[in-house]
Amino acid sequence: MPFRRLSTARPFLTLGLVVGAWLVVPVVVKTFARASFFELTAPISVSASYLRDLQQYWALRLHSNDELVRAGHDLSGVLSRYEFAVQQNTEMRAEIERLEGLLRLPAFANFRMEHARVASRDFSGWWQRIVIRKGANYGVPVGAPVIFAGGVVGRVAEVHAYTAVVELITSQNVRLAGVVEGDTRPISFQGGLNPTFGPPKGVVEFVPLDVFAAPNATKRLVTSGLGGVFPPGLTIGEINTLAISSDGLFKTGEVKLDERLGSISEVSVLVPLEQP
Amino acid sequence: MAADDVNLAERPGSLVESHRTYDTRLIFFYFVVAALLLVLAGGLAYQQIVKTTVHGDAEKFQNQRRILIPGPRGNIYARDGVTILVGNRPRFAVMLHLDELKLELRREHIRIHNNYLAAGEKKDVPSYSQLEQLARVSLVQRYLDQLNVILGRDDQADPKKVGAHFQQNLLLPFPLLTDLSPEEFAKLVERLPVRSPLEPTTTIVRDYPFGSAAAHTLGIVGSTDDIESEDLPGEGLRTFKLKGSVGQDGLEKTFDSLLQGEAGGIIYRVDPTGYKVNPPLEKRLPVQGKNLVTSIDIDLQLAAEEAIGDQIGAAVAVDVATGEVLAIASKPDYDLSKFRAPGTIADIEARHAWTNLALNGFYPPGSTFKIVTAIAGMRRGVLPLDQPIVDCEGYLKVGNRLFPCENGLVHHGEILLRNAIAQSCEIFFYKAGELTTIESLAAEAKRFHLDQRTGIELPGEGGRMIVPDPEWKLKAVKEKWFPGDTALTATGQGFVLVTPLQMACFAASVARGEVWTQPTLVHQEGRPAQHTEPIGLTPAQRAALIDGMVGCTTTGTAKTLTSIEGYRIAGVHIAGKTGTPQKDVFRDGKASKINYAWFICFAPAENPEIAVAIAIEGDTPGETFGGGEHAAPIADAVLKKYFEKKNRAASPAASPFKVD
Repeated sequence: MPFRRLSTARPFLTLGLVVGAWLVVPVVVKTFARASFFELTAPISVSASYLRDLQQYWALRLHSNDELVRAGHDLSGVLSRYEFAVQQNTEMRAEIERLEGLLRLPAFANFRMEHARVASRDFSGWWQRIVIRKGANYGVPVGAPVIFAGGVVGRVAEVHAYTAVVELITSQNVRLAGVVEGDTRPISFQGGLNPTFGPPKGVVEFVPLDVFAAPNATKRLVTSGLGGVFPPGLTIGEINTLAISSDGLFKTGEVKLDERLGSISEVSVLVPLEQP
Repeated sequence: MAADDVNLAERPGSLVESHRTYDTRLIFFYFVVAALLLVLAGGLAYQQIVKTTVHGDAEKFQNQRRILIPGPRGNIYARDGVTILVGNRPRFAVMLHLDELKLELRREHIRIHNNYLAAGEKKDVPSYSQLEQLARVSLVQRYLDQLNVILGRDDQADPKKVGAHFQQNLLLPFPLLTDLSPEEFAKLVERLPVRSPLEPTTTIVRDYPFGSAAAHTLGIVGSTDDIESEDLPGEGLRTFKLKGSVGQDGLEKTFDSLLQGEAGGIIYRVDPTGYKVNPPLEKRLPVQGKNLVTSIDIDLQLAAEEAIGDQIGAAVAVDVATGEVLAIASKPDYDLSKFRAPGTIADIEARHAWTNLALNGFYPPGSTFKIVTAIAGMRRGVLPLDQPIVDCEGYLKVGNRLFPCENGLVHHGEILLRNAIAQSCEIFFYKAGELTTIESLAAEAKRFHLDQRTGIELPGEGGRMIVPDPEWKLKAVKEKWFPGDTALTATGQGFVLVTPLQMACFAASVARGEVWTQPTLVHQEGRPAQHTEPIGLTPAQRAALIDGMVGCTTTGTAKTLTSIEGYRIAGVHIAGKTGTPQKDVFRDGKASKINYAWFICFAPAENPEIAVAIAIEGDTPGETFGGGEHAAPIADAVLKKYFEKKNRAASPAASPFKVD
């Protein structure tokens, strides 16, 4: 009987032994094991991402020629609009540079844009992360800002050999110094408590009492550029509610973030030319 | 077996104890036990039922702490109700949350202890409390170093402050840095880990958008622990208070109860070591204090201060109808926005800039007092409008003393009242004083309240103003009154002392034809005009007085206001009066005299709207320093700004171009 009892308890004993062994393993070994695990699993997620791309490619191949022609027309229209916008941007950039030179203003920190596809997404109540298909092999540093067409995506949290983990601004672990568009006073933005499939949101603190916002009169929140990480003027979201803070000295509020953050497939990492 | 039992029980003297089924003696003990149980039950009931509140309060006192948060102060506005003269602005800071450091503090304590042991200094190991303090300072410095790296600073933790905070304010976060720029704040927001015990935060401090403008009037605030908490729950709890602010001077002090916000409070449960347990049990938000709309017109205020420049003196502008003070400037002053900077207090003291000269600058009014003399003489009937009372030949003997007119250099001849006011003829007013008598002169000045504080809503208005008469001189100087004293008083010299604010009110009163103007610094939309006792002049007498004052600015002692293009205000006649009294000083071992430059006026002369008084101190003995040259241009700057604003507001808006 005792022998039989021991055999039934064997899985628990094994688990206990493993846990006990893990507890006494040196920190260096643990860190190495964790990094190795990520590097080992990274090709799987990257391969899955490539497979999805392939799947999308064949799905597109199944469209009829008429549909493709129509899409081509639409695309050429969009392209022409973009080309026009690019020309305007070039002219405006030249004008900005001229004015900066005239007023002897310091130019904004220079960044190199590193475009990357999203390999996988990891959204939960605890963290909001994406893995991108570029890492140390493209010189992506930890802490680099990541943006997309809708504004700020987040910051690079971890860098691996061929991938990097980006902490999204929907995460509670990301905090930025923002300003209300047209204002200069810095306020603090932090990701909110976001459910997996819910609309993404964040919170702002230390908003001066003379700033007002409501769902039907939102205020655009942009990066301040004062923190030295994000360049100024990038869209963070829209402040749609503001209420007096618990100390009564400022306002706190909710920021509606871009819903495309949940389905984002392409991002740009702003790699600083001069590493901070 | 049964037989044996019987035998044993019945054997006398047996060692086997026999019991009866019931012993009545036990009843006594039952009662005793029952009584003891009752006492216990009664005690329990007493503690649980009767003393419930006491124990509940004791439990609360032991386990709960209250934090009081002062409400932000209200804003102080200019008279337009829009321009903020004193507001609130965020002050960026970094706080260290001590309740998150319990474990780290313990480890640090052990580490330091072990370091001592490892160094072989067992007998020199500090006591527990010393180790605790070392651990606190070391830990705080470690976190401060994190900030130093990010911000490129080199700040050091103050052991005294750290120790005191842990002892007295354990529930409150420790302020590590409190003077961050917006850029530094933004850097910390982005670079500090979100889960760190370091929290970039903001508090509120007073903001002065106009720096030194109306500094004496607006006043300063100081910090206080005395926060009103009467209506807040948790009165009996151990309470921690965040620093509040209290008005210490100026309007901040007078209207402190209005501006003071309503305090809020948070009640936390704490663990046995005194650290707070989140979330709070109760919370009430602080409420901002009420706003104050002052009568100050910031454009006029800035114009007055700019015109005074580096000189020592004061300027006051008053709305003639309502008594609302439009501008009240005193120089030297201080920059309210830099008031807390190191060395500021010493600098203010060195420049003697504390005193609000508009309220506490007691100067002889000089010839501006001749308006009082003229009014007193006319009311007494001794100053005819069309007949000279004296022939000004440069000197006049009064009693045994010879009094000059402009050092005896000017001969005004048989001058009439209008011209005497315009030209400020001394001889005329020496004689007028003699004819009027000192009693009438003093009574008239007192009728204009020149012997009293104005009662403006500012703290510290001095009471050293003097309207002398024989009774006063005997009491104060222990001397009898001489005829020369009357002559000096009639020309605003001798013992007479007034403040610029008093003279601005006097000018406003003369402008309205009444004897008193109550000044106020509070703006009230549609405030009704003040009405007090009429001066009591006939229309002809009043016309002569006003003509004389207008003559002062056109042909008289302040003619620069109309003769120089830059000073002229188109379409506006100014009724004014200059004054240049002298004061005996003893400098460099020699007795000499310095001058004061006075100018009082109102405009437009025909329908007065604004009254102004200027007093500037000369600083060099023997220097030519007169009201016409040094005080009148300052009043002109204020008037010019007033009428410029008035005309701008009255001019119709440009019509949009329209094609029919």
